[in-house]
Amino acid sequence: MNSTTQLIRLENVSKSYLMGQARVAALREVTLSIEAGEFTALTGPSGSGKSTLLNLCGLIDQPDAGHISIDDQATGKLSQKDLTLIRREKIGFVFQGFNLVPVMTAFENIEYPLFLAGAGAAARRERVDEILSRVGLSEQAQRRPDELSGGQRQRVAIARALVKKPRLVVADEPTANLDSATATQIIDLMHELGRSNGTTFVIATHDARVTSRCDRSIVLTDGVLQ
Amino acid sequence: MKWLWFAIKNVLRNRRRSLVTILIAAVGTAGILIGGGFALYTYESLAEMAARDSGHLILAQHDYFDRDEDTPMQYGLENYAALRDKLELDPRVRLALPRVQFSGLISNGDKSSIFVGIGIEPDGEFSVKGPTMKVLAGSLLGSKSDTGATPEIILGSELAKIMKATPGTGLTLLSTTTSGTLNALDVKVSGIVTVGVPEIDKRLVYVALPTAQHLLLTDKVSTLSVYLRDIGQTEEMRGVVAAMFPGNALQTWRDQAYFYIAVRGLYNRIFGLLGLVIVVMVLFAVTNTLAMAVVERTREIGTLRALGTLPSQIVRIFALEGLVLGIAGVFSGMLAAAGISLLLLFSNVQMPPPPGRSMGYPLQVNLSANLYLVTLIAIITLSIAAAWLVSRKAAAKPIVEALGHV
Repeated sequence: MNSTTQLIRLENVSKSYLMGQARVAALREVTLSIEAGEFTALTGPSGSGKSTLLNLCGLIDQPDAGHISIDDQATGKLSQKDLTLIRREKIGFVFQGFNLVPVMTAFENIEYPLFLAGAGAAARRERVDEILSRVGLSEQAQRRPDELSGGQRQRVAIARALVKKPRLVVADEPTANLDSATATQIIDLMHELGRSNGTTFVIATHDARVTSRCDRSIVLTDGVLQ
Repeated sequence: MKWLWFAIKNVLRNRRRSLVTILIAAVGTAGILIGGGFALYTYESLAEMAARDSGHLILAQHDYFDRDEDTPMQYGLENYAALRDKLELDPRVRLALPRVQFSGLISNGDKSSIFVGIGIEPDGEFSVKGPTMKVLAGSLLGSKSDTGATPEIILGSELAKIMKATPGTGLTLLSTTTSGTLNALDVKVSGIVTVGVPEIDKRLVYVALPTAQHLLLTDKVSTLSVYLRDIGQTEEMRGVVAAMFPGNALQTWRDQAYFYIAVRGLYNRIFGLLGLVIVVMVLFAVTNTLAMAVVERTREIGTLRALGTLPSQIVRIFALEGLVLGIAGVFSGMLAAAGISLLLLFSNVQMPPPPGRSMGYPLQVNLSANLYLVTLIAIITLSIAAAWLVSRKAAAKPIVEALGHV
């Protein structure tokens, strides 16, 4: 792969957390490149540093040492505001617990990233209707999250992550709270939507079905890439 | 608009808590408006009473207000008729009334007492007194009371009791003349009045202006009380009249309204403190509600931040929630206060007499646009400020930490 297709690059990235009085290393000098359009599974036992690596890729956390670049743009010296604007434009998130805003309807949850990006009302409606149709939730558009099943909520979360056609989606255990059949549907949906948009996925998972559907699998053990 | 809609939905998220906060803000607002409106009504009533008593402007000889007289009317006005004619040419002037202030002894033959007398022009004087003077018995002085027989007088109610006088009773007034000698005059009681202040009712005697001048052996008057059509023109007319008569001394009703100034000072402190307590109470209520909302929604704040929401936009969401709570509370409070004010206007609830007074007064609450506007701005500003205070820290919290909040 050449550098022009490289979406995100981590060089010698380390991260540690303070647990009480002790400092615990979550990542140790990780160097990693993820290509544009790639489906990457991040696996490893609990506490291996998957979520930390995912947070760093999603620019919601910063490393203690090392460099992270996205689309060839170094992020180390960017302000919080600049990082926020990059996330707003280029990165979508799918959380294990869905993390939908409970007072918003499915439509409004999906619409929110477009609203943040400054899209007009008509463009937002058109795009949200389109993606709601693709995730099969057109009939549930005006329902709030508590009126939806777990699978439906995760579909809304995936639609929210993809509605702005981001360069990267980071997903943290997206199938962990779903039954087997629904989990398979969610994986298929991420594949279908991701492929059609050319979106890069980095998915932290324990689920072998997810890993098997990814282009690449990265294994982390004690904060070190295997 | 989208942000505001989101804020409204968030306020409705925990309806009971929001309702309690709105009720506290409403009760606080109503408290400020009713307390403040009552104070304004009191100021207005006292100002009117003071102005009705003294006149809006009081014109006198240049030494009258500053120096004690050695003999009665030493600093009296001589040319008051000409001054009056000139004053009454101004359309803003309703009346200019000459008065003679004097004092002495009043006797019923068996018993004497000190009196404080005022020589007046009855028709004009009693037309401006209005509800500040109440006739308890008999009648007021007529305009032709001194043309024939015994001159008539009006007595304060307490002095009438001391003199055991009723309408028709004959009494004698004894006073010092302008030359320093004593003069006596037999008079007949025409009526008995009260001005609502027992200490004044104990000394008060009204006589017609010629009667007073006859008793004091003078053709001067003490002052010329100028009544304007609008009390709001007092300061403007002070300048006009001062320029018109530069050789004379001039005071406004406010210069002589010691009770008004004292009550205003007292009420300003009482209601100011009350207002401050209420404002702090509302601030705490809104702060408490939003602080709980911030803690409960820390994870959601993390999610919104991850999606690309700036910390300032998070603070804006909570500030708008403060705005919604503030507006709901302040408008409910304003409606309640306006309703109570209107109810009091038509229900004639009486307040007990204030200290030193014998007459109560109606409990009313002014509907002041300025007071409503200032309260509206203050409560809403405080609500927004409370939201800003409690949300700015959460908005700046590291996203990973916020997402991990349980």
